[in-house]
Amino acid sequence: MVGSKTLRKRFDEVADKILNEAKADEIEVRIIQSDTALTRYANSRIHQNIGQKDTHLSIRAVFGKKVGSATTNSLEDKDVKNLLAKAETIAKNQRKDPEFYGLPAVKDKIDEKSAFVKETAEYSPDQRAEKVKEIIEMARSEGVDRVYGAFQTDMKSLFVANSHGVRRFSTLTTANLTTNAIVDWDDDQGFGWGESFSADVSEIDHIEVGKTAVEKGLNNIEPEKIELGEYDVVLEPLAVKSILMYLDMMGFSAKSVQEERSFMNGRFGEQIMDERVDIYDDVSEKDMVGFPFDYEGVPKQRVDLIKSGVANEVVYDSYTAGREGDKESTGHALPMPNPMSPLAMNLLLGTGDFSKDEMIEETEKGILVTRFNYCRPIHPMKGILTGLTRDGTWLIEDGEIKKPVKNLRFTQNLIEALDNVEAIGEERRLFPMGYYPAYFAAPAVKIPDFRFTGTTEF
Amino acid sequence: MRDIVELGIGLLEKEGIEYGDVRLSQTENEVINVKNGAVESIKSGESKGYGIRVIKGGWGFASSSDFSERGMKESIKRALKIAAASSKISNNIDLENVEIYQESYTTPYKKDPFKIPLEEKLDYLMDVDERMEIDDRIKVRKCNFNAWKTIKEFASTEGARIEQELIMTGGGLGVNVSDGEDTQKRSYPNSFGGDYNSRGYEFFEDLDLLGNAEDTAEEGVDLLEAEQCPEGEMDIILNTNQLALQVHESCGHPTELDRALGTEASYAGTSFLTPDKLGDFRYGSDIVNIVSDATAEGGLGTFGYDDEGVKAKKVDLIRNGIFVGYQASREGAAKVGVEVSGNMRADGWKNLPIVRMTNINLEPGDWSKDEIVEETEKGIIFDGIKSWSIDDKRLNFQFGTEAGYLIENGEITKLIKNPTYTGLTPEFWNNCDAIAGEEEWRLHGVPNCGKGEPPQTMQVGHGCAPARFTDIRVGVGKW
Repeated sequence: MVGSKTLRKRFDEVADKILNEAKADEIEVRIIQSDTALTRYANSRIHQNIGQKDTHLSIRAVFGKKVGSATTNSLEDKDVKNLLAKAETIAKNQRKDPEFYGLPAVKDKIDEKSAFVKETAEYSPDQRAEKVKEIIEMARSEGVDRVYGAFQTDMKSLFVANSHGVRRFSTLTTANLTTNAIVDWDDDQGFGWGESFSADVSEIDHIEVGKTAVEKGLNNIEPEKIELGEYDVVLEPLAVKSILMYLDMMGFSAKSVQEERSFMNGRFGEQIMDERVDIYDDVSEKDMVGFPFDYEGVPKQRVDLIKSGVANEVVYDSYTAGREGDKESTGHALPMPNPMSPLAMNLLLGTGDFSKDEMIEETEKGILVTRFNYCRPIHPMKGILTGLTRDGTWLIEDGEIKKPVKNLRFTQNLIEALDNVEAIGEERRLFPMGYYPAYFAAPAVKIPDFRFTGTTEF
Repeated sequence: MRDIVELGIGLLEKEGIEYGDVRLSQTENEVINVKNGAVESIKSGESKGYGIRVIKGGWGFASSSDFSERGMKESIKRALKIAAASSKISNNIDLENVEIYQESYTTPYKKDPFKIPLEEKLDYLMDVDERMEIDDRIKVRKCNFNAWKTIKEFASTEGARIEQELIMTGGGLGVNVSDGEDTQKRSYPNSFGGDYNSRGYEFFEDLDLLGNAEDTAEEGVDLLEAEQCPEGEMDIILNTNQLALQVHESCGHPTELDRALGTEASYAGTSFLTPDKLGDFRYGSDIVNIVSDATAEGGLGTFGYDDEGVKAKKVDLIRNGIFVGYQASREGAAKVGVEVSGNMRADGWKNLPIVRMTNINLEPGDWSKDEIVEETEKGIIFDGIKSWSIDDKRLNFQFGTEAGYLIENGEITKLIKNPTYTGLTPEFWNNCDAIAGEEEWRLHGVPNCGKGEPPQTMQVGHGCAPARFTDIRVGVGKW
């Protein structure tokens, strides 16, 4: 493992060279270095086991209002030189973008430390294999012969410098363990899921993750089909994570509002959700991980998107802020240029004072959901989402979990769902998004009249 | 680059391994996005590196962009260390025997998209943008050009030596419209960036974005005033851009053998098409024939050899409605006793090859689309991907398209908005009663198929002609 100081020095040298040689009016240098290790297991055997290292250098060159960018994965002198020439050539041949108001110049001193844990960074293939082996043995001791999942550890560094004097560097580590138990029973299968995510691999209780999956799988045998319609639902934190993630994609960015496709459009200041609902983006919360600045080097601000149920504000990058004139970037840029930017990357749902058990006890007839699968927006302005339940869905009757049910498809307006929310959990859990470096902290919630529109065969 | 590959193979051969390969890849890409009269982004990227796969008691894989001798040695050491860890919890790994090639392949193309001046592409896209500026309710006008060029070298300890140069090109246009109450979108030739092919710049020219810009924008605006999709059961006709996705999700993914064997269970999911169903499960009606074809001319999933050195081929997946084949790797084929289909593909040098679609094509039928419409009493034509969701065994699906066209008594009567349809895969395909013929068959490209951990993105193709499905539930949800 290359030390942080050595890495920073190397990135500084590359940036200095680019900034000194650049002819453009403005220049941005971004370097992302990643080291990913992942052990995948299926049918209680390791079937994929990988180590990946990559470095991603990007230069954004600006002449007036003409912007060009180029990327490479080499930091060799000649490649860096070629990259600068390419970015500048593209920018010169570019058309003017009247709505580009320059690269950010926020140089405020901040604590640039992310959650970095040496043990996570140095975690070995042997250590991952050992934990996986213990999960497999634990499952076998419970009579479950087939478990599946992945154990991933990552170290990622982000460096941003620009010609306005911005210079940021940070390194973070993450570890994520998933277990999917598939329990065979006659001609049927029971599915169960466990997951744990942390910056510190030592905080991942692999046996607990495995036990959760196995227990859910064993309790999910011979699920029955139930009548479609509206049910009260108790959504476990992982299911709530999907709701947060799609709210984020459908409407929490300034771009979605500017393009008039967000459920926030025309509703700022209006009570659109229950007053107990607080949704905010804050990398500094204790149960959150992430870089303290965005991919343009702007420090991340806390943004209260939904405050006591009121549509309050959205996240900005420098471009979307520039378009509105009186706004500043809130530090939510993705690697630019990027049609998905800005994005809330550290999203939290405020906690309530219910336990999951209390929510179940208070339910006369409802559905308990472990997680959702393959969610997709149907109509972003109305906040309508569809998706299916997965890895453990149960019918609740008279305050008790009665029986497993076959997976259900929902087609639901999320804004209405959170307006009707009945209870919010007192504890929340942190999950990674997967595709983007975004993280979501979610408690369990109970929502009445959740609309199930289809069912499947397992 | 050949030297570093040979160095790697030479080092692997000294390690007493059961199998090893080195796959080097260098990708160059260009992306131009124009939005609302300005160039939103021009990006040029390149990435090169290599991945090493070894079997020594278990699988090991390491990838790196360090092309020095030291870098290669360290990467091999890492791959072997990972294999040693895997061997603690691994089965015996058998690879099905395949022919070993020392060959090269280049995508046939007429115009290198990277040699067309940037200025020319920008001028064209700006003209396309201007054509779409027809109504204040159009909040976003966008159009794009994308091209990739990949040079690959593959060598194995079995003696394979393969070089390939692959080119892909594409683009599209679209509008987002809003009247403050509702928002709609309309795209051409498909949503999410358009259409793509393994051809040169000539494919982008053939798309004729300029000639289709105004009509697309107009229909986007019309959608705001269109009627809501009706609820109920009726016949539906899928245009090729949506049928391509239907094939992708409900046949492409479930016929991936790794899913059927459970190795994607914890992420993308498994498959209802389990090996015990092979050869006698009725997947669809008699007229449904679906193949995996990496040799299809111009397909986005077309190449010379896959990423474990298997020559591109055409394999039956569904024949006369019966499930008859899988997309299978050498390891999977050996396990189940099926044909190696040449579907192992990796996203760049960094990732491990996994079973991926090539071109999953629905063979043409003998109708014309006009005939299908004429013979439909009540139905909806679905066009332009908007929303798609399917369960983790690929059974229950729900799709939404940008636009729908209501058919009444054999005629298209009106445009409808927010059209959705839902069903169960085998029931749906068994209700397929008409497929249009060769002349209406189109080979679409999907550039963003996600699968695997860490997530990999792959470019795949789907050929099809418009088809009808009877008695399908439409208009799902509360509006």
